[in-house]
Amino acid sequence: MKKLLTIIFAIALLPMLSTAQEDDKVMKARGGKFALTNAKIYTVTNGIIENGTIIINNGLIEAVGANISIPADAEVFDYEGREIYPGMVDSGTQLGIKEIGSIAEAQDSREFGQITPQMQALSAINPNSVAIPVTRVSGVTTVLTAPTGGILPGTAATVNLFGYTPDQMFAGNKAMIMNFPSTARRGRRRRPQSPEDAKKAMEKALKTVNDTWDKAELYAKIQGSDEARFYPEMEALAKVVNGELALYIEANAAKDIQNAIAWVAERGYKNVVLTGVAEGWRVADEIAAAGLPVIAGPVQSLPTRQSDRYDLAYANPGAMAKAGVKVAIRTGDTENSRNLPYHAGFAAAYGMGREEALKAITINAAEIMGISDQIGSIEVGKKANIFVSTGDPFETSTKILDVYIDGYKIPMTSRQIRLYDEFLNRTPGVEKTNPAIDIKKK
Amino acid sequence: MQAQTAKGDVLIKNGTVLTITDGTQENTDVLIQKGKITKVGKGLRTPNGVTEVDATGKFVMPGILDAHSHIAGSAINEGTSQVTAEVSMEDVVNPLDVGIYRALAGGVTTIHLMHGSANVIGGQNETMKLRYGSTNPDDLRFEGAPRTIKFALGENPTRGGRSRGIQPQSRMGVEAMLRNSFSDAKVYRTKWNAYNANKSTRKVAPEYDLRMETLVDILEGEVLVHCHSYRADEIYMLMKVFSDFGIPKLTFQHANEAYKVAPELAAFGASASVFADWWAYKLEVYYSTAYNAAILTKNGVTTSINSDSGELVRHLFHEAAKTQKYGDLTDNEALALITLNPAKQLGIDNRVGSIETGKDGDIAIFDAHPLSTYAIPQMTFIDGVKYFDRANDKNDQRLYINPEETIQEVMIFDRESQHRCMEDAQTLSFSDLFSNKK
Amino acid sequence: MKIERKTIFRLMLILPFLFGTLAINAQSDHTGKSAATRTYAITNASIVQSPGAVMEGGTIVVKNGLISAVGKNVSIPDDAQVLDGTGMYVYAGFIDGMSNVGTKRPKAMERPSNLFTPDPPNDYAGITPERHVVDQIDVASSTIGDLRKAGFTIAHTVPYGRMLPGSGALIFLADKDHPDDIILAENVAMFSQFVGAPGAYPGNILGIMAKWRNIYRNADNSMQHTMMYAENPSGLTRPNRDRTLEAFFPVVAGQKPVYFNTQNMLDVRRAMRLQNDLGFKIAVGNIKQGWELADELKQKGAQVYLSMDLPDAPKPSKSEDKSEEVIALEARRMDFYKKYVSQAATYQAAGVQFGFSTMGTRGNKVKTHMMTMIENGLNADDALAALTTSPAALLGIDKVAGTAEVGKLGNLVVTTGPYFEKKSQVRYVFVDGDKYDYEIKDDKKKGAEVTDEPAADTSNEPLLGSWTYNFTTPQGDQGGKMIIKKEGDLYSGVMTSDDGSPDTDMEDISFRDGTLSFSFSVDGGGQTIEILVTGTVTGKSYDAQASVEAFNVSFELSATKDDGR
Repeated sequence: MKKLLTIIFAIALLPMLSTAQEDDKVMKARGGKFALTNAKIYTVTNGIIENGTIIINNGLIEAVGANISIPADAEVFDYEGREIYPGMVDSGTQLGIKEIGSIAEAQDSREFGQITPQMQALSAINPNSVAIPVTRVSGVTTVLTAPTGGILPGTAATVNLFGYTPDQMFAGNKAMIMNFPSTARRGRRRRPQSPEDAKKAMEKALKTVNDTWDKAELYAKIQGSDEARFYPEMEALAKVVNGELALYIEANAAKDIQNAIAWVAERGYKNVVLTGVAEGWRVADEIAAAGLPVIAGPVQSLPTRQSDRYDLAYANPGAMAKAGVKVAIRTGDTENSRNLPYHAGFAAAYGMGREEALKAITINAAEIMGISDQIGSIEVGKKANIFVSTGDPFETSTKILDVYIDGYKIPMTSRQIRLYDEFLNRTPGVEKTNPAIDIKKK
Repeated sequence: MQAQTAKGDVLIKNGTVLTITDGTQENTDVLIQKGKITKVGKGLRTPNGVTEVDATGKFVMPGILDAHSHIAGSAINEGTSQVTAEVSMEDVVNPLDVGIYRALAGGVTTIHLMHGSANVIGGQNETMKLRYGSTNPDDLRFEGAPRTIKFALGENPTRGGRSRGIQPQSRMGVEAMLRNSFSDAKVYRTKWNAYNANKSTRKVAPEYDLRMETLVDILEGEVLVHCHSYRADEIYMLMKVFSDFGIPKLTFQHANEAYKVAPELAAFGASASVFADWWAYKLEVYYSTAYNAAILTKNGVTTSINSDSGELVRHLFHEAAKTQKYGDLTDNEALALITLNPAKQLGIDNRVGSIETGKDGDIAIFDAHPLSTYAIPQMTFIDGVKYFDRANDKNDQRLYINPEETIQEVMIFDRESQHRCMEDAQTLSFSDLFSNKK
Repeated sequence: MKIERKTIFRLMLILPFLFGTLAINAQSDHTGKSAATRTYAITNASIVQSPGAVMEGGTIVVKNGLISAVGKNVSIPDDAQVLDGTGMYVYAGFIDGMSNVGTKRPKAMERPSNLFTPDPPNDYAGITPERHVVDQIDVASSTIGDLRKAGFTIAHTVPYGRMLPGSGALIFLADKDHPDDIILAENVAMFSQFVGAPGAYPGNILGIMAKWRNIYRNADNSMQHTMMYAENPSGLTRPNRDRTLEAFFPVVAGQKPVYFNTQNMLDVRRAMRLQNDLGFKIAVGNIKQGWELADELKQKGAQVYLSMDLPDAPKPSKSEDKSEEVIALEARRMDFYKKYVSQAATYQAAGVQFGFSTMGTRGNKVKTHMMTMIENGLNADDALAALTTSPAALLGIDKVAGTAEVGKLGNLVVTTGPYFEKKSQVRYVFVDGDKYDYEIKDDKKKGAEVTDEPAADTSNEPLLGSWTYNFTTPQGDQGGKMIIKKEGDLYSGVMTSDDGSPDTDMEDISFRDGTLSFSFSVDGGGQTIEILVTGTVTGKSYDAQASVEAFNVSFELSATKDDGR
């Protein structure tokens, strides 16, 4: 029955979607005072409001509740029983710094060198990337965009998916990315490595890491002095040493995660997050004991070992959550960050449960990134990052009707939607005498 | 060398049966005997000795077909030449790939193991059933399936040409190579027809060329062409080439811009096998839309959704469901994209793709409607034999183990490496490799 | 009688010349190494004439290259060197069914500057079935002595190369000066492997299978044409000469078998697939993962040579509380190890007549592996048959080799006890009637057993130190030094470049049984490319293949140890 209802709503909304773009009219976002009424509101932190209203003003949520008085000057949107959620947060992407994967000139996510912590993803984000509207019309409003590459590829930034400059987009969090030395293989399999060789390789890589951070700690002490040299890499790392900047450590193999945990304890840095954690389920108790939050994903992945049960990647976030770890979910993608709710949906189906999975892409992500005072749930005083849907966003039959970012009502269009509108019923269609369709019998 | 494969009997009881061709039937039984569906109805009697499977509360659909796969292959591209019609994936089937089991665990029963997309005219593909457990590649053949072959247009072959210093290096060159190849094949055919018609006992055979033989078979309509393509103009170009050479059947693979020439495709009678939402990884897919499958379907083009990935194949039902978000396809339309439609494109719709009496007993059972994100595949049957059972199967499904490997070998999933289309085909620029660059 | 002074003087003038000219007849050997006689008698030994036929207290006489007598009461010729065989066992010399012994890998062909990759010249692509291994034989190769020391006397040696390197030959594992001196039979079989052309067609198994079929069918047609033309050329177009096709004529005619080198179970199946499609006589060699294929091979009448090489035994972890998962994984792994080591027993049980192929096995591992196979179900008589009578029959030399019987070639191996007992060692090997002596080692290795890798082995030392290497790439040669060290148990190494590029670390260095493999990475146009190098160390030289897997390309690397180490 529920399916039938969603289909009916979808059909009813078809006109709404396809006329989102009127011919020759440019659609722009607009700010203002909005009243979103008659909706089932999933606040995430304060339960579900069955028939509620949200007042948006000056980019913030001014009021939310079941019986709210609507200001006279507010523009009213009656959502007729649809659902409202906090904007989804993808805590691991390269959105904005990678446009076309196979073209080097169209990729800015990877700088040359192993130790490049001072590279700033934020300023390299292209606010006009084609993938940004494609992503936000699916309800993902905020992403962490991270550099990739060597041991310390750079500084990531959290951005809201609306704005004309990176600063307009900036959501208030930056993080130092570190790729922890790994014993695992990436890509296609090669010759099996003996455990001794693997250990040796790891020790060598770890030495480089430790040397670097030792230097950074020294630099943090001496950088004030007039004599100190300008050492941009160490300057960037010193921010982590001083606790000004969070450190996100990518570690996926169980052994690597354990090593990373030990390393963090040894170094004593604060505000550390583990990312990737593909085998986190194997060492979930240890992660929980260490009190480290994680950003897990992609959920739709293959198991890490040939001998692994086939669904372990799907069950990974749930297993960690059950052990008491705070889990956020990421896609690790760029142009398909829009699939975040489906990664969460799979995690939900394979043990995490809907409620936890929803938290993993809203409030948990916000808390881990230190900006939960601004986003991650529908509460008074937080930014108006929300979306309106016809139902459960984890289901593919659900439509996203409206998206608000930073209190702006976002135009529900993207290049993909415009192409749909143009080509669903192409004018002209096929010509009657067309050489392509006239098959000559020879 | 036809191996005898197992055929089973099973009665799947009281499920919601998604037949594809005859609507959704609730509380319905499906009886499979000797590997074929013999009855579909309510309250069927269990014949002697036949196992019962209780599907109460569950959803029963035809086994899923993946029309574009590279799992279970020891090699993917013979990328050293731009025309390699003579090679065949049947020679490189690898039944030991644990990816086969993982696909079964996603409800998939048939795959189309394809040659890669490095060549304008690639190798012949192999339609297979995922009968996991045998180490004999012949046991995975889809007996009687029509021959198919892989073509490729666009950036992949032109990039190959550029790096090897040969043609084609442009889309113009790709068309020229196609036309030249077919023309060469016609010359070859004429020579051999003359030889065969020659009644003399003292005749000398012309040179035998397996490549030309295969191209002639394509001209004669005996080999179905599946062409990797992206841009609308090259899709249109191939239809013109095929119409010039009198080849009526054609399936475009990936075809991200097929929606731009949907009316032409429908009029020609060509079909498309596409992604649900992959785009932007190359320039030729930058102008894609996730509404592709829906636009094609609504314009009357037989469309399927494929995976081209050992990861995606495990949730093709979820990929198909995306067409409800992007384009409002109905449940049956969406399910047809991964059942009856790919079966048609592979020429095996008389055998699989729907639940009808007389078809093969290839079935996937889910605990919820397969188009729901929460659906978890429970059991998969091929020819009435159960190959996957979530409740009972062991974790380690490897068939062969290397005794010299450590048991803790970890491989981090890398989405790009799943895209095996260009594997074995990349060329090495030696000057880059050994020049004093650092 | 009084010898005139004049005569003596003349004699003194002549004698030096006599001695000088004596060099032409070379009976004198100033090294003293030549044997004093070519007649030998081994007395009072247990003579295993053929598997299961043991003569206790017997005497065997080898004379002029043949076994001239075997028996309990045999008269020993006057010119015989008598060897006391008390307590010793005498067997027919072992026969290796397929390997590269006695050959030297030829220099890789340079990539033509205008290479058209879809259609390279046949010799570049490795399609040279018309060639013969004789051209690659290196009589000084240490592999000959190495294999002989393990008891082998005859080997079917096949050429190095790619898809169709040429024909093999049967050679004696003797120390001689000229290849002709060691050849027993040439052109025994055509040799083939699933190795593609370097960066050209056919590049991998896909192209190889198709190309094979194409060559064969054209060879068949060409043969028909040639025969028809030979009978009566009138009015027929002249057959084109094509050495590749002509090399296949005896194969198509069913007279000459094709020997396939295989790496795994799927390779064996592919070789059988070709045979099924085309119908030639087939031998499948170097079978490692063949335990499921015994019946099928038997049915098809394929000749079978199992690989002598066995995997190392897996070592389960010693930790106290192993998780269920680890226990299960280790059990499965051990299970598979058992399949490999009991493969020979499986073939025995299936009634398949098989020989062995020592490809990739060092001589000093043969005994170890044979003992492992015996421990895992192969019985000693069948093992002996697989080393002697079976390969002799399969290779068609059973009239002259394979048993210790009168009239056959003087090929014997004499051990200090029954061969299939751990402690016994090889004392003598007779090849083509010549005796080779071996030192008996005194229980030195008692603690660390023969089966284990000798920990502080002399073989390690040649590896450590500085090597001068040379890569042959299509862009020209690239050279430098490889410097290899050892820290505890682990090797480390560095490669320097002659062209001034920074040093590269050698990673994953492994050195086992004379095979040295490692990998290193280079930055190729923005991406990190890994190159795997693997090859054999023989004395002071290293011959290897460097492959760039991602690009399906490989090329040669050779290195020589820098003297002074």
